[in-house]
Amino acid sequence: MVITQEQIDYCMECGVCTGSCPISRMMSNFSPRQMIKRTLMDRDETVLHCHELWSCLTCARCSVRCPAAIDFPEFVRQHREGARKEGNLPQLAHHGTLQAIAALQARNIKQRRTEWAVDAGRFASSGDIFFFIGCAPYFEVVLKPGVGSGEVPRSVLKLLNRMGIEPVISNDERCCGHDALWSGDEEMFRRLNRWNLEVIRGSGAKTVLFSCPEGYTVFKQHMPKVFGELPFEVLHVTEFLARELPGAGITFKPYQENGSGGVTYQDPCRLGRQAGIFDPPRELIGLVPEIPFVEMPRNRENSACCGTTAWMECSSCSKALQLERLQEAQDAGAGTIITACPKCRIHLTCAEQNTEYSLHITDIYAFLLKQME
Amino acid sequence: MSESYEPKIVAFTCNWCAYAGADLAGVSRMQYPPNVRLIRLMCTGRINHAFLLNAFLSGMDGVMVSG
Ligand code: SF4
Ligand code: SF4
Repeated sequence: MVITQEQIDYCMECGVCTGSCPISRMMSNFSPRQMIKRTLMDRDETVLHCHELWSCLTCARCSVRCPAAIDFPEFVRQHREGARKEGNLPQLAHHGTLQAIAALQARNIKQRRTEWAVDAGRFASSGDIFFFIGCAPYFEVVLKPGVGSGEVPRSVLKLLNRMGIEPVISNDERCCGHDALWSGDEEMFRRLNRWNLEVIRGSGAKTVLFSCPEGYTVFKQHMPKVFGELPFEVLHVTEFLARELPGAGITFKPYQENGSGGVTYQDPCRLGRQAGIFDPPRELIGLVPEIPFVEMPRNRENSACCGTTAWMECSSCSKALQLERLQEAQDAGAGTIITACPKCRIHLTCAEQNTEYSLHITDIYAFLLKQME
Repeated sequence: MSESYEPKIVAFTCNWCAYAGADLAGVSRMQYPPNVRLIRLMCTGRINHAFLLNAFLSGMDGVMVSG
């Protein structure tokens, strides 16, 4: 258990967690403070049977503020393992299609994971830099057209090519198991990543780049706990670009506002609060001359989650959180929201459909590529 | 693959056409191999991605949608 007795003793029941939680605001019966108290102090096991365990976004807004440093998302993750064994399961979004796609990847199957890349750019089968694509191209096939997640890896490949880099990509790569892990299925997470480690090792890569914050945190934070120290460097593409792009001799066109409003940035929970990467994406956006950058009131550590996670429990609560976020961007004077996560892009795009909002929702790679000379 | 390999195929069939066809075949005493397992739907519009993928996850070698 990651939460020590000392921390339990120190939980002063201040309620900062519940007060910070976006779900608690929408669902009055959802209280991280009470879940902690019931489980850790009263030794009550009912948390394994309650549905609220699945409502948590694991967004870490509570845990970054907790004075006793209680990692509530990790508490939730571990109890989800137990809940699953007890038959307490989440409500899956999209009929469980995305979970089925991940589960199929844990087998010895032949994929068409990288077909898009043939037209998008140049890549190699071995080399120093491995670009971990993630499942974004699959999301685009399953979800409504126009969610744009497939544009994320396409743009990254083009950006890298423009910098003279031909990364390794692999058709044998598997899902990183992020959603399985956070849904209490660690076994699936292990099975998937055994494949991934083999594939990356086989490529001879020294650095692995992730455009998806979920894959990044899985490799950065969870994999070493399970598989030991990894034999390669793990970087998020925004970290890599913030380091390499300014010296790469690439110039950007000045931003043409043309009445479209300001540009704001949505911090993904995994990349921001969980991995602490707040500045690199902002530095990259700042490379574009005349960019009318505005911050939303809730930014960086205080950023708001895009409303749902791990393709489950998408509810009216998720929609309300998403619409609130769109309103916040609009009120801040933004006409464009840039994110660094394919799922934020999907969720905000979906929420905007059939509403009166007309914000342009994109991701940082597509944005940078468009602004390049 | 050994010669005795027999694929398992699940067929999602529409009540009003493909399933009726299979039923007629049965009534007419026509034989078909047991590799195909029929699942009747009231309309193939009922299909979603998850049915197809879950069929593979449950060990099917092929999926047929007919209707
Ligand atoms: S914020 Fe931390 S100390 Fe305060 S009630 Fe929540 S878990 Fe306990
Ligand atoms: S992780 Fe996020 S959703 Fe879950 S309890 Fe904490 S603040 Fe609420």
